[in-house]
Amino acid sequence: MNCSNWEERIALYAGGDLGPSETAEVNQHLADCPDCRVLASGLKESLDLMRDAHAIEIAEPHLAAVRAGVLGTLEAQRLPWWRSAWVYGLAAVAVASFLVVSLLPRRQSDPIGAATVRERTVIEPAVTPVPVKAPPKLHRARAVRHRQPLPILPVAAPPEPGPPVVVKLLTDDPDVVIYWITDTSGE
Amino acid sequence: MKALALLAVAPIDSSEQRKAAAAVGDLAAFELLIRQYERLVLVTALRLLGNMADAQDVSQEVFLRLYRNLGKLESQNLSGWLYRVTVNASHDLRRKRPATDPMEFASDVPAAGNDPQQSATEAERRRVLEMSLRMLSEKERAALVLRDLQGLSTQDVALALGSSEATVRSQVSKARVKVKDFMERYFRRRI
Repeated sequence: MNCSNWEERIALYAGGDLGPSETAEVNQHLADCPDCRVLASGLKESLDLMRDAHAIEIAEPHLAAVRAGVLGTLEAQRLPWWRSAWVYGLAAVAVASFLVVSLLPRRQSDPIGAATVRERTVIEPAVTPVPVKAPPKLHRARAVRHRQPLPILPVAAPPEPGPPVVVKLLTDDPDVVIYWITDTSGE
Repeated sequence: MKALALLAVAPIDSSEQRKAAAAVGDLAAFELLIRQYERLVLVTALRLLGNMADAQDVSQEVFLRLYRNLGKLESQNLSGWLYRVTVNASHDLRRKRPATDPMEFASDVPAAGNDPQQSATEAERRRVLEMSLRMLSEKERAALVLRDLQGLSTQDVALALGSSEATVRSQVSKARVKVKDFMERYFRRRI
């Protein structure tokens, strides 16, 4: 016999969930169907087993722990403002400390910064960019190199030109005399 | 403050008075309310979750929600509200924390007798039962626990779960068949 459509009703029957008319129908079917009788007895047995196994007696400490947790949480939430004032005080101190720490280095660095600027303003006029002098035309290689943009090199101070020196070179030929005019540095 | 003073003078002996007192902030009255329903909530949570630590966490959550909602609750069906919130909180926790060893349930609840043989048999039964309940879907388990273990009527289970009576009947019958099949398979294999 195909009894799959009886399964749900038999499961409800086993737990006493059917009304009188449905219960009578199931009873009639069980009288005719040995497989469904096995199903019904198995369901009743497992239900009894489940109810026995779950006949739980909770120990008092378990209940007390729940109670304490709930009441503790509620007590903590109901703290008057002055009981938690130290938190606000601590926060204010932390904010003040942060402000002091963030402002203090700026005050210290201001004189240093000013000194640096002053130092620069003092030095800058002395460090006048002086273009490198073009060498004499005799030195061709150097002249070619100086066609590039001239680098501006800081020079501390231009050297004082010494008095010109005139060197007279005599040759074997009395008509040829070489004059070499130079400064004291010998250039 | 006036209400508090009046309630402090009057003896608190009914559930309604406790609710009213607790709603205006009387923690002593709320403690009495907890004591009245703590067993119902903790046992239901334990049956749904299978271990004591989780059941205690859920019970605390349920009572904190009760405290926050005391002013809004209908006076008639506090236990129905508690069942509904316990089921929902248990489902929330189970999604966050997956189930652990079913043996925990067996060891959490002491056996009734002193006979070690009997205690071992009871612990084994609980473990098997816990394993069989884990075979069920969340809703089937809740329906079975409320109907067969807590003894609520189909109508009350439907109210607690927010579903129809027909749905509950279907869930309960499927759950009963699944538990029976699991237990039969388990014990047949053991024999």
